[in-house]
Amino acid sequence: MRAYILRRLAQSVLVIWAVTTIMFFMFRVMPADPTAILLERGLSDEARNALLEQWGLTGSLWDQYVAYLGNLLVGDFGSSFLYRKPVWEVLTPLIINTLWIAVPGLLLGAALGAAIGTAVGWARRGGKLERTGIFLATVIRGVPNFVIGIALLTVFSSTLGWFPGFGMGDPGQNVGFARYFTLDFLHHLALPLIAVIIYFMPENLLLMRSGVVENRTEDYIELVRAKGVSQGRVAWHAARNSMLPLITWLFPALAETIAGIVVIEIVFSWPGVGRELVLAVTRQDYPVAQAAFFLLAVMIVLANLAADLVYGKLDPRVVYK
Amino acid sequence: MTSTSLATPENRTASPATMQALATLNDRLAAKPAAHLRVEKLSIAYSTARGPFHAVDDVSFEVKPGTNLGLVGESGCGKSTVIKALIGLQPEGTKVSGQALLDGQEILGLSERALQDVRWTKISLITQSAMNSLDPVYCIGDQICEAIQAHESVSRATAWARAEEMFALVGLPASRLHDFPHQFSGGMRQRTVIAMALALNAGMLLADEPTTALDPIMQSQIMSRIRGIHEHMRRSMILVTHDIAVVAETCENTVVMYAGKVAEKGPTTDVLARPLHPYTMGLQNAFPRLPVKGQPRQALISIPGIVPNLLRPPPGCRFAGRCPFATERCHIEAPAVTAVGAQSAACHYIDRAPEFREAAARPETWRKLGAGA
Repeated sequence: MRAYILRRLAQSVLVIWAVTTIMFFMFRVMPADPTAILLERGLSDEARNALLEQWGLTGSLWDQYVAYLGNLLVGDFGSSFLYRKPVWEVLTPLIINTLWIAVPGLLLGAALGAAIGTAVGWARRGGKLERTGIFLATVIRGVPNFVIGIALLTVFSSTLGWFPGFGMGDPGQNVGFARYFTLDFLHHLALPLIAVIIYFMPENLLLMRSGVVENRTEDYIELVRAKGVSQGRVAWHAARNSMLPLITWLFPALAETIAGIVVIEIVFSWPGVGRELVLAVTRQDYPVAQAAFFLLAVMIVLANLAADLVYGKLDPRVVYK
Repeated sequence: MTSTSLATPENRTASPATMQALATLNDRLAAKPAAHLRVEKLSIAYSTARGPFHAVDDVSFEVKPGTNLGLVGESGCGKSTVIKALIGLQPEGTKVSGQALLDGQEILGLSERALQDVRWTKISLITQSAMNSLDPVYCIGDQICEAIQAHESVSRATAWARAEEMFALVGLPASRLHDFPHQFSGGMRQRTVIAMALALNAGMLLADEPTTALDPIMQSQIMSRIRGIHEHMRRSMILVTHDIAVVAETCENTVVMYAGKVAEKGPTTDVLARPLHPYTMGLQNAFPRLPVKGQPRQALISIPGIVPNLLRPPPGCRFAGRCPFATERCHIEAPAVTAVGAQSAACHYIDRAPEFREAAARPETWRKLGAGA
């Protein structure tokens, strides 16, 4: 078990190194000029070269790469070109903002999806619940997530006026860490959070449903029924076994969905890391973009590792070698 | 990693309180009488896209308390369908009619809730495919405890202690209760399923081809285990099998089913020594017997043909198409059940049975039919 985790960690480091390297060279071979965001057109080459030197964009690509890796190893992601602040300072508050909608959104989406999926899978085949459940899940899954966001905004913000339409708080409210504990913040959080839940739920629901449908006809379910336990308990056996494929999918999907939340952040003007990532790429703000991609890569790799470990906990047949 | 932490092999000795509770539970369970089952005119039709499939038609039999009834017939004759219906496990949409009185209580058509109380307390099941009958993600002990605790309000420790006793009864070491199904061989899983079926000492045991999935050596081990348990616990039992030799060794009474109908039934000795129905005769021929000294070696004779399609059952005797003695009448008119002493059979020519028996022992009787068909 321990040897397995160590080996997987070593592999993970390798994968992350590869992603970082590709990312580094990709940004540099793109025909663009990062100084364009700060310098007005026609400014002297001298000023421009001074900036490039300051940002470490002079010298051969190889030298730049070695310097970048060296800094990365000591946790230094550099300074943002635009904000002229260390990348960590730029990203940390944004990451926290994103986690506020991502973590509860994904957890609730997965839990609700699994619960409703079990109910739909356990319902009578061809019955009303099954048909409605599958229909709704498929439709929502097919709709692009910005449409979900816009629909929520139209109904609950514009028409009914129950929730604010954008941002994390009304002007003049607390800023800094204290703001997270205000009703105003929760009020702003509601719609984007619901959007994430609705966005993430259908796939969980459909996977869980097909698992339950498959498992409910297995011989072991028949024996559980024959034992005379409650209906709910029988359904639980089917659900418990259906979790195995769900978990395999869920963890990597979590990481990918965090990347997908960028759209929801933009629709709700939520100042999160996903939104910043898109902006950083268009601005040629290499350090921010590279750091954000690095974080995504780490998350996806760790999520895969977590999936494998959780799977072993859930399925006694899995052996780590 | 295992989800249980109750008893490791080292500290298996349960606490005195648990032992006390176990003794009380054991006494309560041991007091259950063997059940009496009377099945009357049981018909079962599966619903299919092409209409009802009459898997079982007008089947009646009785299991007296403490006796063992053998239900034999080739695959697709409705044996397992009868068993499933008795414990309420028929697929949704299946039409079940007739009566099944378990100690006087009608058990057909019960609600799911009412079935919960009957299942395992009064009637338990040894399944056909023990290989897949256990939930792969729970340890064996948990699955036995689940059955016990669903019906008896005892602590987990007590239920586990009872499970250990049941494991001893089927010859498995108690420490293996912590294992998961995939760590068990086929024979061990079958023993587990038997241990589970005995856990609440139900008055009626349904054994649905308990040895089909096993190799011949394991088959005979498991069968002698079942026989031993039957003699020891004196539960009423229905044993479904297609192995007529198993019935001969194990069961007091036999019901021979063919294409969803009872072809013949009666005390096993009578049915096997003097079969009245040509199907029983054919079935006997199809099983190997040990050669008897001084007698010619018996040839293995199979019955040509297959069971008719029960979406459109033939109007006459269902065996007519494969019967070497069938006449015009057999194809048109369904035979009534005729009793001869304790034995009975559904054949028009029951009075010619001795003559048929003689002919049926000759391979050419059946071969002619195969060539003609």
